[in-house]
Amino acid sequence: MNPLLTINSLKKQYDEETVALNGVSFSVHEGEFVSIIGPSGAGKSTLLRCINRIIDATEGEILFDGLNVGNQNKGQLRKLRTKIGMIFQHYNLVNRLSVIENVLHGRLGYKNTFNGSLGLFTAQEKKQAFQIIEILGLEKQAYKRCDQLSGGQKQRVGIARALIQEPRMMLCDEPIASLDPNASKIIMDHLKNITTQMGITCLVNLHQVNVALKYSDRIIGIKHGLKVYDGPPKSITKNQIYDIYESEAGELILELKDQNEA
Amino acid sequence: MQIQESIYHLWINSTKDKSVDLLAKYNERKPFNKTSFAIKITLIALLILTIYSFYTFDYKNLIIIDAVKDTLINMRTMFFGASLRNFTILEGIRQVSFTLGIAFLATLTGGISAFFLGLLAAQNLSTKLVSNVVKGFVSFVRAVPTVLWVLIFAVSIGLGSTAAVVGLTFHSFGYLLKAFSESFEELDHGVIEALTACGANWWQIVFQAVVPSSLSYLLAWTFIRFEINFVEAVAVGAAAGAGGIGFELFMASARYFNIREVGAITFLILAVAIILELTSSRIKTKFIK
Ligand SMILES: Nc1ncnc2c1ncn2[C@@H]1O[C@H](COP(=O)(O)OP(=O)(O)OP(=O)(O)O)[C@@H](O)[C@H]1O
Ligand SMILES: [Mg+2]
Repeated sequence: MNPLLTINSLKKQYDEETVALNGVSFSVHEGEFVSIIGPSGAGKSTLLRCINRIIDATEGEILFDGLNVGNQNKGQLRKLRTKIGMIFQHYNLVNRLSVIENVLHGRLGYKNTFNGSLGLFTAQEKKQAFQIIEILGLEKQAYKRCDQLSGGQKQRVGIARALIQEPRMMLCDEPIASLDPNASKIIMDHLKNITTQMGITCLVNLHQVNVALKYSDRIIGIKHGLKVYDGPPKSITKNQIYDIYESEAGELILELKDQNEA
Repeated sequence: MQIQESIYHLWINSTKDKSVDLLAKYNERKPFNKTSFAIKITLIALLILTIYSFYTFDYKNLIIIDAVKDTLINMRTMFFGASLRNFTILEGIRQVSFTLGIAFLATLTGGISAFFLGLLAAQNLSTKLVSNVVKGFVSFVRAVPTVLWVLIFAVSIGLGSTAAVVGLTFHSFGYLLKAFSESFEELDHGVIEALTACGANWWQIVFQAVVPSSLSYLLAWTFIRFEINFVEAVAVGAAAGAGGIGFELFMASARYFNIREVGAITFLILAVAIILELTSSRIKTKFIK
């Protein structure tokens, strides 16, 4: 089976001094749950943003579902982006709008400028939005303004907005970094369900190594813009985690890992 | 207590070297400060000019006490004996509505154009180059006072209400564009990123994220500008013969020398201005910061 996503020697240079990615290659198969770990500034966010071309890569090739992401024109890129959902650490919702309005934003990629701008969604789309809201347990909040929600609820709105795109893959940039352990678990469980039940591939940037080990099928370690680990969570060793995070932080994380295994 | 104090001193002393350095740096900066020097020079120059001009005024045979007394008497007639002669109160209200109409039209056209160009001026929605070009152009528009804009258009269109509307529009446009684009820039970059990731295009992002997030600011600023435009329209009505209550005021004072009517018209304008001011300050406290 062809991989859903293939990345070939991806490079991203912001300015003379900052090389965020320095030749990263890997591929992801349909239905995989992949976590990307690595220290702050390693280039994880840059990597995710290159995949749906929110930022343009400097060099390298990205193939998504057989399409070369770099070669798409404006219209093709919009269409391609509908197939890739994205959620963020800070949720990035329009706070003054209601939950349902934010969820429907996920359909904008399918609409023409006029209907999209005026928010003219079809009955079918609205029905689908409410179904997704219900799946994520937000039915009581559907008409609330987003600035009245808790962090965990906001993230679920973010997931709903991505799901209504009917994506084949989800890019998640530190989805639980601003959440308490309880809300984090809810969000991670939802993401895992999305992969196992809906078959949507997940690519998740995580700072919590123990969470990454617990939920993922595969771990990719990134350091200084390079891939330094790629393999199943079971076979990653303490030394490799040390290596990814550099000693002091490594100690802290290894303790967590021991607890996890105990 | 003593132990604490000695620890405190120990700690302070340990930072001493650094703080001495910082202090030296601070003192180095102090002696010559360009801005405060410029301010001082300006103030001294103004003081000298003021004294000089009072000294060299041509006072003719003016007796200060009498002059002040006469002015006060005139003021009293104007404001306590206010009455209308050349037209009725209904006509006055009609003229006020005319002035409000000029202000409204100018606010509307200025506001709509400011909205669209404001999108291009907002850094998060535009490119750096376009944003800077638009902002530069608009700061020029804003630097020219309203009355001057009206006079510029009075030359090409002819004196009258059209020139007034167009002139007021220009300045409103400059004023509102700055306010609008700054409100647009308040929108978190992440939201734009998120909608882009959904496949939304630029117009969809504008109307689905930017406008809902900044709508209350836009309305508040527009109303504040409407209030300013009313006052400007009064002045312009007189200066450019644009009609309305400002023109009546001009006629009453400069043509008929009817100070009682001037008083009445002033009260009328004041009443409208106060209503607008109250409304706009309520809107301001509600929506802006
Ligand atoms: N817009 C930008 N302009 C210039 N440099 C940037 C930009 N965005 C990121 N960088 C730089 O690129 C490098 C990688 O940043 P990136 O955000 O991808 O790291 P990250 O792994 O996501 O870090 P974190 O875990 O803290 O989110 C950093 O050195 C950062 O300073
Ligand atoms: Mg990041």
